[in-house]
Amino acid sequence: MKKPYFLLLAIGFPLLSTAQVTFTATTYNQIPSGWPSYNLATVDMNGDYLDDIVVVSATEITILYQQAAGGFTSTTITTSMADYTPDWSMAVGDIDKNGFNDLLYGSGGGVTFMKANATGTAYTEVSFNEYVFSQRTNFVDINNDGHLDAYVCHDVAPNVYYLNDGNGNLTFHQGGIGDHPEGGNYGSIWVDYDNDGDQDCFIAKCRGGGSTASIDELHQNDGNGNFTNVAVAANMANADQSWSGAWNDYDNDGDMDAMVGASSAPNGETGVHSLMRNNGDGTFTNITAGSGWENNNTLSIEHVSYDFDNNGFADMFGGSDYLAGGGGKFMYNNGDMTFTPFVDAGVNISDASIGDLNNDGFLDLRHGQTVYYNNGNNNNWVKIQLKGIASNFNGIGARVEIYGDWGKQIRDVRSGDGFAHMNTLNVHFGLGTATEIDSVRVLWPSGHVDVVDSPAINDAVTIVEGTDPLSLVEIGNQKLDVFPNPATAELSISNIGLLNVTEVEVYNMHGEKMQAQSGNFGTINVSSLAEGAYILLIRTTEGNTYAESFVKKN
Amino acid sequence: MKNILYLLGILLLALVLTVPSCQKDDGNITPVSPSAVTVDLAVAPYPVLSDYKFFRGVMKYQVPASDVIPLSPATPLFTDYALKKRFIWMPAGEKATYVADNKILDMPVGTVLIKTFYYKNVLPGGGTKIIETRLLIHKASGWIFANYKWNDEQTEAYLTTQASTVPITWLQDGEQKSINYRIPSETECLICHKHQGQPIPIGVKPQNLNNNYRYPEGSRNQLIRLIQQGYLEPGLPSNIVSTINYKDHSKSVDLRLRSYLDANCAHCHAEGGHCDYRPMRLAFSETVDPVNIGLCVDPDEFVGAQYTSIITPSQPDRSVMRLRLGTNQPNLRMPLIGRTIVHEEAVELLEEWIYSKKDCH
Repeated sequence: MKKPYFLLLAIGFPLLSTAQVTFTATTYNQIPSGWPSYNLATVDMNGDYLDDIVVVSATEITILYQQAAGGFTSTTITTSMADYTPDWSMAVGDIDKNGFNDLLYGSGGGVTFMKANATGTAYTEVSFNEYVFSQRTNFVDINNDGHLDAYVCHDVAPNVYYLNDGNGNLTFHQGGIGDHPEGGNYGSIWVDYDNDGDQDCFIAKCRGGGSTASIDELHQNDGNGNFTNVAVAANMANADQSWSGAWNDYDNDGDMDAMVGASSAPNGETGVHSLMRNNGDGTFTNITAGSGWENNNTLSIEHVSYDFDNNGFADMFGGSDYLAGGGGKFMYNNGDMTFTPFVDAGVNISDASIGDLNNDGFLDLRHGQTVYYNNGNNNNWVKIQLKGIASNFNGIGARVEIYGDWGKQIRDVRSGDGFAHMNTLNVHFGLGTATEIDSVRVLWPSGHVDVVDSPAINDAVTIVEGTDPLSLVEIGNQKLDVFPNPATAELSISNIGLLNVTEVEVYNMHGEKMQAQSGNFGTINVSSLAEGAYILLIRTTEGNTYAESFVKKN
Repeated sequence: MKNILYLLGILLLALVLTVPSCQKDDGNITPVSPSAVTVDLAVAPYPVLSDYKFFRGVMKYQVPASDVIPLSPATPLFTDYALKKRFIWMPAGEKATYVADNKILDMPVGTVLIKTFYYKNVLPGGGTKIIETRLLIHKASGWIFANYKWNDEQTEAYLTTQASTVPITWLQDGEQKSINYRIPSETECLICHKHQGQPIPIGVKPQNLNNNYRYPEGSRNQLIRLIQQGYLEPGLPSNIVSTINYKDHSKSVDLRLRSYLDANCAHCHAEGGHCDYRPMRLAFSETVDPVNIGLCVDPDEFVGAQYTSIITPSQPDRSVMRLRLGTNQPNLRMPLIGRTIVHEEAVELLEEWIYSKKDCH
């Protein structure tokens, strides 16, 4: 039986001190290198959840499949001559749910898809005639119909996307998600910033000449595929020249924060990066000053966030301090929204694709033929591997949460992070010195919620959509479920009679009580709530409390 | 003294031009049949290039009508070794005015700039092949782009708004080269041809035209020729700070490189340009200071540990600009668009300039 827990009062323990990791470089000559090869992706390709090394050219796809016993087996597959090559970025996802990932190439002239066959042994090219000066590419289920769509930032015109009809056939669309006529779109990051269960789109932007095309955009998804740029109201309309934003919940308070990374300092100014704390109410506050970021003058077109030292707080990587004789630039999260710079002279790169290439739970970097293996430390970790059923196959767009002594950590599953690369689709969490996870919860794009209690640590946990359905509490094999989730008018609680309930309360994410009822506990009227995430709290005569989160949608 | 003569020349020409009839021509200008050029701004762009009647006789020979005047900037933009013929036409009675040496002429509504892209020694036949003719038409609402793609028979060119590619193989100085020549879409044209989001011409600046051009009637300064035609208001400054032909080895390496950078880079890398957030300022008027070319300037972007400056004195292999000019890799090359192969002569020129710099000054 699941132990009662009370999310609202969960206090984030500082897990441990920062434990910066180092990396050891290993070069693999069998990795094709140098243009016209494109060394952009480190991601599982064949459904075994072991991250593979993916290198493409106009006519070849080379995959170094990671072996369960360690090491790689290399395969090169010849393709038709791609109309467009991934000159600017690449994304990976399974658009036809056949278990083998497909590829998206973003070039300066247009977009090509390479679709894997049913055995992953051959690829079929699908190219589009429309001119696109591609920058960041993403796979994401834009209209939330369970099928992965594709999104491409356009450098010089409104952004484009390709909607999936459910059979893996894509249709070109332009407009509606970033329509500045001059473009300026560089780094699209799909993130549920308002915790309402759908994917919103942040766009890091860049353009000279004082153009308004340089102003970042944040497109809020209304859940029906309609997007509104709320950047000004959200305080995210930053005009700095940015090619990428790194999104994660840096303070583990349950919402996604952003570090909008600058690619230039046109007037020689310092402290051009912007660390933006999510206030939980749809707005952000610039907390760069005093965070450590105000002193980070390393510029980069790439900024990504992962918990490299597995201490339970997401770190950042981007840029190189080579001009000062150093190397790759890391910013380690101290857990209190301050960051400590760490320049790794052994990582002589400024950008990489990121995955776990020796399956040790510590994330590695790959650039060209070189894998920078994370030397790790004593921290614990867990790796969550998703398989969507009603949702897209990869679980892209899912929100993954882990609960434990630290409170809560969250991640969004993204295809297309940072600027150019494609990183692992597995979800990595560092646990610090914690030795137990109370539960892992997956909020799928479909609205399904799966919960796995007490998963093993220092291991991978595979969660198949719908096989561990959300249950508030289980008594004598009978579950209390909250459904539907998201809810519009009413929320039902099954088997509520198993508990001696005194009151059912609804809180918002700030801990404010929105409503309460002392009878008719099986049905909760939520029609008056605004859209967003809430917590349902059940109090019993025995003094126990049971809590469950749900999403209200209109 | 030279300047005074120059001014006198302009005045004399202006006087000549005030005489209204060709019949009274003194013989300096070859009489030609009256121009039939027609540009109806309410209708343009026309569906085919021949509709404008810019050219006399067989269109592929590009013999301009009497009021279609050839132009040639001192240093051209490199576009995969394509050869170019450029012309300007204005409605009768209209003329452009001088703004500044380094600013495009203020051209009247109705002006059309014409630019034909072609290759010689095209294989297998070895002949000439015209690929496209691009027009910039100045309407009351602003400049518009109109691209015309030539047919294989070279008899007509058709308006196209979509990008396309034309495979072409030719002999360049005896060396065989092959590319997929790209005809740009309007959106692509605008990447370079814009100011504050609005379409503009680039090359038609006094600094680029203050040099002699070999007209059928003889060699003459291009600005004077435009004044003579009535296309440019007389009374230009006596000393126009001018770009030169980057191939002119009698000029300094510095002037040659600065001219090249202006023509090939400054539409983005200048104050107010598409890419002015990067530290270079590559307009001819800005590169007097080599720091604006990137000499000893830190690059924003890491492109390799050895590339420690945009220009490292005497070390091309440690200079980011040399790397970017010398590669075809699309996310690394410069310019980003307009070329798919390296301009070898430009790389040599840049290297020469880098070697000429012994320190950061």
